[in-house]
Amino acid sequence: MRLKHTLPLSFLLFTTRGRLQRSSYWIVSLFIFSTFYVLYTLLIESIGDQSTYFLYPLLLGSLTTTAMKRLHDSNCSGYWLLAVLIPVLGPIWLIYQLGFKKGDRQKNRFGTVPDEAADYFKNDLGQLRPGLKTGERIINDVTQLNPVVVAEVFRPTSVEDLRERLRITTGPVSVGGGRFSMGGQTASPQSLHIDMRGLNQVLDFSKENRTIKVQAGIRWCDIQRYVDPHDLSIKIMQTYANFTVGGSLSVNVHGRYMGLGPLILAVRAVEIVLADGSFVRASRTENPEIFFGVIGGYNGLGIIATAELDLVDNVAVRRKDQKMARSDYYSWFQTHVRSNPDAVFHNGDLYPPAYRNIRAVTWLKTTEQPTVKTRLMPLRESYPLERYFLWAFTETFFGNWRREYLIDPLIYLRKPIHWRNYEAGYDVAELEPRSRTKRTYVLQEYFVPVRQFDAFTERMAEIFNRFGVNVINVSIRHAHADPGSYLAWARGEVFAFVVYYKQRTSETARQEVGTWTRELIDAAVSLDGAYYLPYQAHATPAQFHRAYPDAKKLFALKKTLDPDFRFHNLFWNTYYQPKSLES
Amino acid sequence: MLRLPVLTILMVLIAGFLFFRKKQPAPTTPAGKGCVVPKEWLVSNPHPVTPAEHLRPADQTFLTYPEWFLVHSPAEMADFAHTHTTTTFPFLYHVKQLWQSYGIVYDQIKGSFPFNTGYHVMIWVIGVSTTVEYAFKTLYETIIGRLTNPANGAVVTDEDQFNARLMQDYVDFIRMRPWYEFDFASRIPALFQTTSFFGPYFLRKLDRKYMLLTELLVKTGYGYLIKLGTKASYDEALPTTAVVVDRFPGSGLTSHPEIQVVKAESDGSALLLLPRYEAFHPAVAALVAQGVGFREIAGNNSAILLTVLAPDTWNPGFPECKPVFTQPIKTKPGLKRVAVVTPVRWLAQTVRLLKEQSVNIEHIYDY
Repeated sequence: MRLKHTLPLSFLLFTTRGRLQRSSYWIVSLFIFSTFYVLYTLLIESIGDQSTYFLYPLLLGSLTTTAMKRLHDSNCSGYWLLAVLIPVLGPIWLIYQLGFKKGDRQKNRFGTVPDEAADYFKNDLGQLRPGLKTGERIINDVTQLNPVVVAEVFRPTSVEDLRERLRITTGPVSVGGGRFSMGGQTASPQSLHIDMRGLNQVLDFSKENRTIKVQAGIRWCDIQRYVDPHDLSIKIMQTYANFTVGGSLSVNVHGRYMGLGPLILAVRAVEIVLADGSFVRASRTENPEIFFGVIGGYNGLGIIATAELDLVDNVAVRRKDQKMARSDYYSWFQTHVRSNPDAVFHNGDLYPPAYRNIRAVTWLKTTEQPTVKTRLMPLRESYPLERYFLWAFTETFFGNWRREYLIDPLIYLRKPIHWRNYEAGYDVAELEPRSRTKRTYVLQEYFVPVRQFDAFTERMAEIFNRFGVNVINVSIRHAHADPGSYLAWARGEVFAFVVYYKQRTSETARQEVGTWTRELIDAAVSLDGAYYLPYQAHATPAQFHRAYPDAKKLFALKKTLDPDFRFHNLFWNTYYQPKSLES
Repeated sequence: MLRLPVLTILMVLIAGFLFFRKKQPAPTTPAGKGCVVPKEWLVSNPHPVTPAEHLRPADQTFLTYPEWFLVHSPAEMADFAHTHTTTTFPFLYHVKQLWQSYGIVYDQIKGSFPFNTGYHVMIWVIGVSTTVEYAFKTLYETIIGRLTNPANGAVVTDEDQFNARLMQDYVDFIRMRPWYEFDFASRIPALFQTTSFFGPYFLRKLDRKYMLLTELLVKTGYGYLIKLGTKASYDEALPTTAVVVDRFPGSGLTSHPEIQVVKAESDGSALLLLPRYEAFHPAVAALVAQGVGFREIAGNNSAILLTVLAPDTWNPGFPECKPVFTQPIKTKPGLKRVAVVTPVRWLAQTVRLLKEQSVNIEHIYDY
């Protein structure tokens, strides 16, 4: 909940500060007039004419204050309301100004743009609960399914700070940034939790070489703001820009980019703080074993402190979509997307619950003028429509059917043109439900070699339907092979299946998710594929090692670089040394 | 802020319920469901004797009602304005009466006559304009006018007296001529010349000056536009209504120069030209007084609509005329308007019987 949402209605009705956007003004005016009419009618009929006069201060007061705030929206002082005194022209101008004119797109002297969030959605700094010892905090991730009590939260502001802290301490350490992973990868019980979000500086930027060097606690959205004025764009990142670079590197993310793949393909070098506080630089040529172990390595070897990333041109992209039978998708993709040099983003939305149809959405490079006014995606205070759709698709009868045959066709009527940076700037807030207490939205992801697309889809559909999984969406992405990271999820050219589903938070519900997840993992692994690790750790160790055959090499490397097993989190606790935690 | 939209929807629903719920007395009460006029009264005259240039569609007697309501309504307002400020005038009640009566008259002719597009368009234009005007007046009078209104709505300021005169002049004018020909512009200087700036009820004076000035300015502009539009879309209407009477009144017409004789037939019947609109009823009354009966009016021998203003308890009580609907006159408790129909051949008898009952005919809708 953002601050504005918790303010009472009287704040809207009886204060004159700030701005009010057009749609809110219509709603609040409708509210004022209908409420007045109701009270007026009831008072006249129950008490009498005279009793209505006490309504007038409320009526005139709220009409005046809301109109003043609406005037502020176009940078006009509230005194412009006096224009009403000029017969005919005054009221006409005011009706236009209040009811029809769009507000300023930028911040003005009366405040920021209404309903535009000041920043991307963020997780908290660690929650305090009654009963915790001094320093203890609860570290949770965005799903709120993995609360972990840590001994202390430390937020370094310089790399030196961080190194010093590791040097002078012993004991378990967990590392978190944006905390958008979904399976406890950012915390471990009674560890020293390092919140990397204070390390958010741009260290070096070269427009000519198209590289940027950043501290790992910086968020992708911050980099976008930095490089956008130079007409540059991040080469590879995930769809949502809330994440920190360090977190994305540790899970080796991918996005919807065509012709690319895992994030490691766009990383030139990283600098690591090891368990003893020492500092190492790693690239494909320099300390390559660390480079391939730390990217996609779930923070097992050391803490990624800085990263040098590739940039590309910030081109305009036009959306093109096509709905087709799932069985036609693979060959269509090969001819129309894979070899298309203009394809920048691509994904296929596989419609549940039949999984027989796909809407393929491709963003193609264009020289046309973008249809959006801003270069970066504007942030919104609330996403009522998105929230409604998520609810409707998952909770109502024929919700999925309505989405496939009514809502999506309408949404895809538009043919928007965005900047590459704009299209990579989504805010996780659009997915946030009102509450995650009883039910929560969770992600999973599976990878299979491209030729196994149909085989895997059929098995996946069978498993989902047998378990009655409430799947919201399965998004298909494409990735080229990973150049060699130990926990590579793309050992060849793969399709990624990003599964977004809704689950209850009860223990039995979680166990059920575990059961079908293990079946899906078996399905993917039997087709020479893998599953993704940033999510709940439902896989058995045997499944994990079959999906990630090089994990043993990473484990061996961890023994040398982190001999005391300082770097903990749920992933390492589960698959590396499950016993150490119990002792 | 999800609460606000939810609360708003809730309040709008309650407000809608309060506005549309059935209240007593209902603004308009139909005499029955659907068409209450006998179907045989709703047949166009296949072989009119009246020359073609004087023919008008038979359904127009019904369709002119909403148009004339926009004379009846200002007339009621003008009467009211002599004794009360118009702040408490029941504008929305009249809006309901307008649309409800339009619905009822349309029910009568639906299916019996071809759809009269031009007339319906005109009704919608004037109906929507009046609805908007009355809605704005209600809004303004409720939010501001009520606060400055003198006790019991007494007409004490120069401005409210000016308004009463204006209303009366306007009604007198539109009984004869289209409303948009009324000279609103010349009333603007008059507003300032005939009222003092300072005086008792100072706020009321300011409020009324603002309101009257706005009304005059808007109507000057809107009237100008409608005049242009009307000239472009409608032919100049004839100022006369041709009637065929069964007996030539002869010398009885000498005291009525407004009635012209076009042709007297050998069988005793005659084709006469009567003034149209407001003056039609007095001319008809004069002919009825001489024992004349009607065969055709504007070429029609089907039903013709009349409205009468009668006490609450009144009923026609004779089979020659059928009531269609009643509307209470809200500002004159005890009085109601009753719309009745009768075939043209019985019009004379109906007028005579109504006169015997001392009931005032408000208007005869001469197609």
